Amino acid sequence: MSEEQENTPKNNPIDLNKPEQPANPPSGFGPITPPPFQQQPPFGQFGGGMGQQNLPNSTVALVLGILALPACCFYGIFGLIFGIIAWVLGAGDVKKYQLNPGVYTESSFKNAKAGKICGMIATILSILFIVVVVLVVAGAITNPEAYDRFFRGFK
Amino acid sequence: MILQQLNFFDWLSHHLFTCPFKTYFGFDCPGCGLQRSLLALIRGNLVASFKFYPATIPLIAIIIFTLLHLKFDFKFGAALIKISFFAVAVIVLINYIYKIYNHQLTA
Repeated sequence: MSEEQENTPKNNPIDLNKPEQPANPPSGFGPITPPPFQQQPPFGQFGGGMGQQNLPNSTVALVLGILALPACCFYGIFGLIFGIIAWVLGAGDVKKYQLNPGVYTESSFKNAKAGKICGMIATILSILFIVVVVLVVAGAITNPEAYDRFFRGFK
Repeated sequence: MILQQLNFFDWLSHHLFTCPFKTYFGFDCPGCGLQRSLLALIRGNLVASFKFYPATIPLIAIIIFTLLHLKFDFKFGAALIKISFFAVAVIVLINYIYKIYNHQLTA
């Protein structure tokens, strides 16, 4: 038993030494590359993936931002309301994420950003439409005959 | 059953929400055609749906994709939603301008 035990430790170092010997020659640039690989993941993850939570309003902002586009009927008011709510909620969440990025998940940050931008687009469209409505009303009040001529063809 | 459904859609097509803008001002708002387009889509008539309102099919696609994205959290889901939403907004805008311009020409 004792001989076998002695033999196996002797054999193992030899086996271990063999792979080490070829590993030694590239050791000149070997030690330089591994540390960055070990250091980068902590920087990228920034607090790991365990204790993070979703931003509170990211989903609402995204859904409202998308629904704001079909809601731009009714004089653009509903589109404006939905769009502005989505914009404000999304912008608030983006700020919250930027204050402490480690706490919240990155996917919810992306959702909040998307909701903010969708809300912005819907708001701009609604404002454009409202401006058109105001212009049409102003035109109809100031010059009814031209208004009738202009829109005669519509059903 | 099928006949009943068809009758229901026929009934629905005559009882859509009337656009308050259209009733007051006499011409379409940017959302006009959405309901007719949705009905055409439910009946399976894609071409009619597109003719009524070109942005319906992309809009529904975006809504379905958003629900899937919120469920499964795709990697590029948010960016895709942003880009496609912008595209749909452009479609709506172009459609409205085209509609107004075309009607005005025929007037």
